[in-house]
Amino acid sequence: MSAAIRTTGLTKVYGTKRALDSVDLVVEEGSIFGFLGPNGAGKTTTLRVLTGLARPTSGSVQILGHDVASAGNPVRAQIGVLPDVPGFYEWMTAEEFLRFAGGLFGIGRRVLDERLGVLLDLAGLSDVDTKIGGYSRGMKQRLGVAQALVNAPRLLLLDEPTSALDPMGRKDVLDMLTSLRGRTTVFFSTHILADVERVCDTVAILDRGRVVARAPIDELKARYGQQKVVVEVTGGADELTEQIGRQAWVTSVSRGSNGSIEITVTDVGAAQREIPAMIAAGQVGLSRMEAGEMGLEEVFVELVGGVQQ
Amino acid sequence: MSGFAVFAGKEAREILRTWRIWVLPGILLFFALTGPVLAKFTPQLLGALAGDQLKGLVIPTPTYLDAYAQWVKNLSQIALFALIIIYGSIISSERKSGTAVLVLTKPVSRTAFVIAKAAVHSAFLVILVVAGTLLTWGLTAAVFGQAPGSALWASALVWLVFGVLFIALMTLLSVLIGSAAGAAGAGLGAYALVSIAAIWKPLGTYSPAALATQPASLAAGKDVAVLWPVLTSLLLTVVLVAVAALAFRRKDL
Repeated sequence: MSAAIRTTGLTKVYGTKRALDSVDLVVEEGSIFGFLGPNGAGKTTTLRVLTGLARPTSGSVQILGHDVASAGNPVRAQIGVLPDVPGFYEWMTAEEFLRFAGGLFGIGRRVLDERLGVLLDLAGLSDVDTKIGGYSRGMKQRLGVAQALVNAPRLLLLDEPTSALDPMGRKDVLDMLTSLRGRTTVFFSTHILADVERVCDTVAILDRGRVVARAPIDELKARYGQQKVVVEVTGGADELTEQIGRQAWVTSVSRGSNGSIEITVTDVGAAQREIPAMIAAGQVGLSRMEAGEMGLEEVFVELVGGVQQ
Repeated sequence: MSGFAVFAGKEAREILRTWRIWVLPGILLFFALTGPVLAKFTPQLLGALAGDQLKGLVIPTPTYLDAYAQWVKNLSQIALFALIIIYGSIISSERKSGTAVLVLTKPVSRTAFVIAKAAVHSAFLVILVVAGTLLTWGLTAAVFGQAPGSALWASALVWLVFGVLFIALMTLLSVLIGSAAGAAGAGLGAYALVSIAAIWKPLGTYSPAALATQPASLAAGKDVAVLWPVLTSLLLTVVLVAVAALAFRRKDL
């Protein structure tokens, strides 16, 4: 499969601040790629470089097989872009803006008429005929998604597409992204982990300008996500926590907010055999014991050094 | 339609549907309507206001040339200052509001973006100045009974070249300076420099600086050689827009 996006050693420096530091990314065509990172990690800077709005200090960026520095109108015609805070001409209505955007792509009137109905519907703005100046942030965000799709793009670049949306709007946008799987390459940055887990097949995690992980989600969880065991006992939790912490198959142990014991383990089988034995030996009751994989959120927190979103 | 034409069409509609349709047209309409009347009645007004203080002073009877001088003086001062202030944000406002990002990630080059803006607003200025001059011409004929057109049109059209040059200059300054007030300040500074430069004869004869003073001479019915200043101004206009486009291409948005 060919790469829709390929960056090699991508570095962007603002003054003394290194916003991007040797970022290597490959986004396969047809994939839905989640670009995760805490605020200030460099996600928006990456999007700006990918869209040609900012120049890299060093390194190379290829979009749809073309160097972004020399990519002209033919390449831009195949791309849809939603910036983090989309800016609109506030004197236009949503339909006028979509017609204007479609006109910039040279889309014929008949095709544009057909697409407008669908896109306005997607944006939930079919019955809204007021000017964009009076829209809420969520409405602007939905219109931003719609205008990014007006040219039926081969590559869709979205910066935090769900951040200003209510739960219904968020669901609609995520469903729409899922429906594009296999037809359009979607690259979207976000700090909402649940969105990435829900729709993305591949994810990269950016922290302080560096890609700290890049893999299919399942592989990432398998690589970084150790098994997690949660135990609740009827008494003697402190002694049990101490005893568990001494085991070789334990990476870390801590007390949860409801008095439970949370353990990350390297060998879940050993944990499942030995923890009940310890509880029985201590003559206390076992209320609950769960073993499972760590979620993307835990992987993310582990990789970015505990920076919480 | 190309991206350039669609964007230029947007720019034209923006003029018609925002404050832009009121401010510069309002200023020019006001001067076009009041200029000839003020020129005609200035002696009476002065006489009424000054009372006996101007008893010995003989004020010449105003002619149609006074109405023309009024129109060109207003163009050269207040209209030009308004133009400099209004166009201090011609590019930077789209960068600040984020609209430039949505446009420039579509098939519109940065060069097309800059040229479309400079071209549409120059065309807007041409329409305004021609309309204002027509109005002044008609009103002058009505108020003074005669209004030969050559002096008025020569001065207004020569000023128009100067006005378009300043739109090009403000386009460049608005690319280079993110703040609208900062660009406007630089534009006013440039006007002051041009006015001073016109004192030096070679510049005052051949360069665009001559256009700071020549429209007034033309309006007074004097014979002035404007070919070189007009040619160098048109050339400089093209150069300024080209430099603006090049500078904009190098900017991070």
